[in-house]
Amino acid sequence: MRPSVNRPPTPDVQENQEKEPTLQETINIKLIESGEKERLMELLRERLVECGWKDEMKAICRAFIKKKGRNNVTVDDLVHVITPKGRASVPDSIKAELLQRIRKFLVSAAL
Amino acid sequence: MSSKINSNNNNNHRINGQISLQPCTHLADFRSRHRSNPFRALQDCLRIKPPGGRAAIRRDPSEVPLCGVCGDSGGGRTRLYACVSCAAVHCHAPPGGGPSHAAAHAESARGGHEIAVDVDRAELFCCACRDQVYDRDFDSAVVLAQTAASTLHAPPHSVTTPTTIRLPQPENLRKRRRIDYRPWTPDPRERSLMGSSSSPLNGTVSDSDSNSDSRSNDLLPWGLRGLNNLGNTCFMNSVLQALLHTPPLRNYFLSDRHNRFYCQKKSNCNGNGNGDGIVNRRNASNNERNNNSRMCLACDMDAMFSAVFSRDRKPYSPAKFLYSWWQHAANLASYEQQDAHEFFISMLDGIHEKVEKERRKPHSQGNGDCCIAHRVFSGILRSDVMCMTCGFTSTTYDPCVDISLDLEPNQGGSAKMASTKSNHASNGEVDCLNSSQNSGISTLMGCLDRFTRPERLGTDQKFFCQQCQVRQESLKQMSIRKLPLVSCFHIKRFEHSSTRKMSRKVDRYLQFPFSLDMAPYLSSSILRRRFGNRIFPFDGDEPEASNELSSEFELFAVVTHTGKLDAGHYVTYLRLSNQWYKCDDAWITQVNENIVRAAQGYMMFYVQKMLYYKASEKQVAA
Repeated sequence: MRPSVNRPPTPDVQENQEKEPTLQETINIKLIESGEKERLMELLRERLVECGWKDEMKAICRAFIKKKGRNNVTVDDLVHVITPKGRASVPDSIKAELLQRIRKFLVSAAL
Repeated sequence: MSSKINSNNNNNHRINGQISLQPCTHLADFRSRHRSNPFRALQDCLRIKPPGGRAAIRRDPSEVPLCGVCGDSGGGRTRLYACVSCAAVHCHAPPGGGPSHAAAHAESARGGHEIAVDVDRAELFCCACRDQVYDRDFDSAVVLAQTAASTLHAPPHSVTTPTTIRLPQPENLRKRRRIDYRPWTPDPRERSLMGSSSSPLNGTVSDSDSNSDSRSNDLLPWGLRGLNNLGNTCFMNSVLQALLHTPPLRNYFLSDRHNRFYCQKKSNCNGNGNGDGIVNRRNASNNERNNNSRMCLACDMDAMFSAVFSRDRKPYSPAKFLYSWWQHAANLASYEQQDAHEFFISMLDGIHEKVEKERRKPHSQGNGDCCIAHRVFSGILRSDVMCMTCGFTSTTYDPCVDISLDLEPNQGGSAKMASTKSNHASNGEVDCLNSSQNSGISTLMGCLDRFTRPERLGTDQKFFCQQCQVRQESLKQMSIRKLPLVSCFHIKRFEHSSTRKMSRKVDRYLQFPFSLDMAPYLSSSILRRRFGNRIFPFDGDEPEASNELSSEFELFAVVTHTGKLDAGHYVTYLRLSNQWYKCDDAWITQVNENIVRAAQGYMMFYVQKMLYYKASEKQVAA
């Protein structure tokens, strides 16, 4: 058995410490560490289901698979097909709600 | 989903001819190189946020994974994958979406590093095929870890430790059997047999009618016949009209599966015969038994089906049926108004009971092979109650013949509603849902969403957790394990408030679709939402229950109620050959579908789409 198999699946954090993280990266790490990112993702997931966005994406995927044949489609193909439409069709109200939540988090984290 | 096979690796295996389980060559290679336990290292890195959280891959719980090349944390346009061979984390984006460092890693490593795992979802991915791959052992390990996540930091009497997560050894590949539908047409021999040994249903009745009558008869589909009101019996007539046009029930009775003449003879023989001795010995009790054995709701149904489908259009009086039902449900025997839903439950129960008596064999209701009523209407509900402290989940399965749904709380905001729904008000999730749905009208789907939503049980109804050995706060979630052939949804429009000792009717409008997909409410979907995309058999039984074909339903009858709680009127709308008919006791009129959509539905009857023959209804009539 190869010795590398027993290594943990994530790299040492120290390796990446050399370069200074940007503000965006810092915020992202803060979000993850506090668990807020998990909650935001759960909220987003719920909102996208409620507004029908998920069903819409599902329909596009189904149509694409029907067109190509179900053995000739990969997850990457599907992601590639729905990404532009998916990004464009997220309702503004949901974006605003999430932005609001992130702002609130930043204020509370800065204090 | 199957994976694309690279053209240079063309040794694709097929297991039992199932394309869906055909592994990607890279995954097969990987498995063969690490024969014993290929995902052992990964198992220690599985992190699950209890209770009931999603699985993720982290070396230690607080770690923030970053791409080894670009330092991306996977937040934006990419996903993060950890190579299962060397543990390096890389980002991945589909072609055109940016660079894929995971694919680059797989290529540069010259084989053996194609399989990676999504760090946030714990799902396997092949970087060379650029597709999701599935591995039974891995998936079952994740599901086991997810269910056992809480057990790890639970009291010491639990034996599960991280190292003893056992993988089910045999790849139990269950072959899914499906029989193709083939339309049946009688061959000459069968045709002559049918002609010689049966009499046509339309006797001379239509001929003896006046000409205009018979002409209008021919336009209407068969089986449309008004039912006379026998004194506040619209609750019965409305349900009977729906049952008379329930496709599987209609087919059962019209194909002579329950013959009332045969049935009566049999019960006479069993009941009293001519045996005087028996009568003398147990006089009183035997009289009772005689009555019971003579009473057979299924026989009365059979008689009614014959009458209704006889092409006689004069309203029919289901007096014999009413009398039999009164004998069955003595507490409801009166000329007062009754609840249609209560009648529905009671009469299905009556048909079931009769069959049980005949066969003298105990049948479990849930598997639905006991009697025609349960074969058509019974499904199985699954209820998961999860302890909020330790995450222990207890699952129970309950048979049901219908699904009773709460109307969504009033958005208009009457204070009365809020007080009667106190146990729902304590549920934070429902509240936030309401705020987001302020604009919309209530829909049947919304009711079903609420029905299958995890619900926090309040502090007043704590549940005894077997693992903690004390009463704990818990999370309850309902789902549908097995769909019935015909789904009856009952909308709780009659509200009983225990605190105010008052009942009232909720007149709010509820939108219902003509076609309904039940797939999101199935246990398999609910569990998939909880565990992610796995090929692990969650329910421990055959996947037929989640067959996509059978989750599509068509509306064929709506029982509506107008009026108040104590006095009102029931009317049924029937859909035959895609045309709607209003059945108001003895009167039947053709109506526009918009009238049906606007009606205040009390009970909705949906039939599985494959059993709803739009075209064949016409054939029968012709």
